[in-house]
Amino acid sequence: MITAAIIGNPNVGKTELFNRLTGMKQHVGNWPGVTVEKKIGSYSYKGEDIEVVDLPGTYSLTTLAADELISRDYIVEEKPDVVVDIVDATSLERNLYLTLLLLELEANLVMALNRWDLATRRGILIETEKLSELLGVPIVPTIAPTGEGIESLKELISMAAKAKNEKRKIVVGYGEKVELSIAKVKDAFCKDATLSNKYPPRWLAIKALEEDEQVLKLIEKSSHRAEIMAAVR
Amino acid sequence: MIDSTNEEMAVVLAEMRYKAISDLLASVLSKKGGRWTYTDMFDHVFLHKSLGIPIFLALLWAVFQFTFSLSEPFMAMIEIAFGWLGGLAEIGISNPHIASFVSGGIVDGLGSVLVFVPPIFMLFFALSILEDSGYLARAAFVMDRLMYKLGLHGRSFIPMMMGFGCNIPAIMATRSIDNEKDRMITILVNPLISCGARLPVYVLIAGAVFGAKYAGTVIFSMYILGIALAIIMALIFRRTLFKGDPSPFVLELPAYLVPTAKTVIYHMWERGKLFLARAGTIIFGTVIIVWFLSTHPWDATAGGVIIENSYIASLGRFLEPIFSPFGWDWMTAVALLFGFLAKEVVVGTYGILLGVGEETLGESLVGLGLFTPLTGYAFMAFVLIYVPCVATIGIIAKEMHSYKWAAFVMAYLVVLAFLVSGSIIGAGRLLGLS
Repeated sequence: MITAAIIGNPNVGKTELFNRLTGMKQHVGNWPGVTVEKKIGSYSYKGEDIEVVDLPGTYSLTTLAADELISRDYIVEEKPDVVVDIVDATSLERNLYLTLLLLELEANLVMALNRWDLATRRGILIETEKLSELLGVPIVPTIAPTGEGIESLKELISMAAKAKNEKRKIVVGYGEKVELSIAKVKDAFCKDATLSNKYPPRWLAIKALEEDEQVLKLIEKSSHRAEIMAAVR
Repeated sequence: MIDSTNEEMAVVLAEMRYKAISDLLASVLSKKGGRWTYTDMFDHVFLHKSLGIPIFLALLWAVFQFTFSLSEPFMAMIEIAFGWLGGLAEIGISNPHIASFVSGGIVDGLGSVLVFVPPIFMLFFALSILEDSGYLARAAFVMDRLMYKLGLHGRSFIPMMMGFGCNIPAIMATRSIDNEKDRMITILVNPLISCGARLPVYVLIAGAVFGAKYAGTVIFSMYILGIALAIIMALIFRRTLFKGDPSPFVLELPAYLVPTAKTVIYHMWERGKLFLARAGTIIFGTVIIVWFLSTHPWDATAGGVIIENSYIASLGRFLEPIFSPFGWDWMTAVALLFGFLAKEVVVGTYGILLGVGEETLGESLVGLGLFTPLTGYAFMAFVLIYVPCVATIGIIAKEMHSYKWAAFVMAYLVVLAFLVSGSIIGAGRLLGLS
């Protein structure tokens, strides 16, 4: 069975798409913060069962709010086969921040550009093929209220699940100086096999440099604690 | 552990990400035309600095006017139907115990609660339209702006708005508040927001003592009283139990959408079915207890005819002294007692004690002199404030991870209820009302 997690900024229509995919009727509302608990549903596509998890909306993956923590923990700890990033096509700039964080986490991403109709009506033109190529993520435009794009999304999810172990490219380079620090910390993390097998080492390094509370806690428990902390400083 | 160069690192990394995004967008995004969207235009009005709150209040008033006026004829029809059913049961069922149970317990007790299905669904219908259109998020925003000026957390108001339906999902919605102190305050004051279960009590009393013309406005004033008390209590908690500054708030406003009939009806049903489910479970169960206590001992009450001799009357007379300064009698005392399990039961208890026959329940309440406009208004305020229902207490304990806080909520609400209702009565008597 394939597990696919739905994530995205608050109020971009995640639950509506989840309902479309699974045929369930979870409460949706026109404001942020409707989903505060993860919801699980499923559907089958071409003879394969896909379990879908609807996560609370979040702007970033570094947060202390209880609902957003649920989303982060699920992506980081449970490692779903596919992560469906729902992006509001009418405000790409803000939404893509989370996308970049998910790419750093080396999540197996599929992107749904939701509210495609509203974007078109407002004169926003997005070259999806080019965006897909630049990010290295398959993209499908969707319109949740009518269900447009849902079949293509299902196909992309199944395809992405098969291509799960392909190496993804790095989208954001942080410039020579920062990259040097990242490389140094990353090398230190790689010495701890348990940690670096469980989490992507580059992500660990970036988060350690950002002083992410949860990653700092992981370091505390590491057998190579001293080495890693020395590299971070 | 904290190192200033690393703190800067987080900022540098975030900046690099935003730079990468704008580089990306430069090559894939183009925009034609920069007209004002409808969202811009509406927000100019609804989010106006000085008009925002008056517009919100006016819309809310319209909602209750709509709810009361439109549901009144339907309520009358249901009331007549239950009256007829009750009469039929009394004549048609030969076993006096069963006849009393059906006509006195089910028809008078449960029936008098079910009469309020129309206003509850109408209210949820109106709220669904406000929610789906995107207006409710704006209302939360203008109220939050006020709250923030008062030193309270910005994101508190969305959970409060959700409390209009039911306090339970509203308290769960506080999870989106990232500051623990802000979240605790929001949970503590949430029971002051009038939920759907209080509506039957408001509609019954307001309709009976103020008449159809003013009922909508009186009900509206109860909702406003709840919001005002929530703000006042939040301020008190902020100054005493949870000192500190509120975290700044960012609220992303959804786009305005024309609500579709399908989603509005679906949302109305989703909230309304909870009321029907409660009617079939906790309300029904409590009503049976009230019926039993009001018809036993069977011989002394002559099968529920002489209610003064029943167990419930003894219980009521025991509690009566607590409420007699407010001008409320023993029936009100027991109605409030059982209302703790579910507030709709306040109405169901009156239904059983007074019976629903020729007169409507509202007419009996006034006819027997149970309530004057002043004591009725104070009673509505008391029902608004005194202890949330059992289920809400449960969710408070769960979300705050402590039964102590749940007990605290009950204690402060009881004290507040006596203070507010007492003040209403006192102020009214000073003005020469009775």
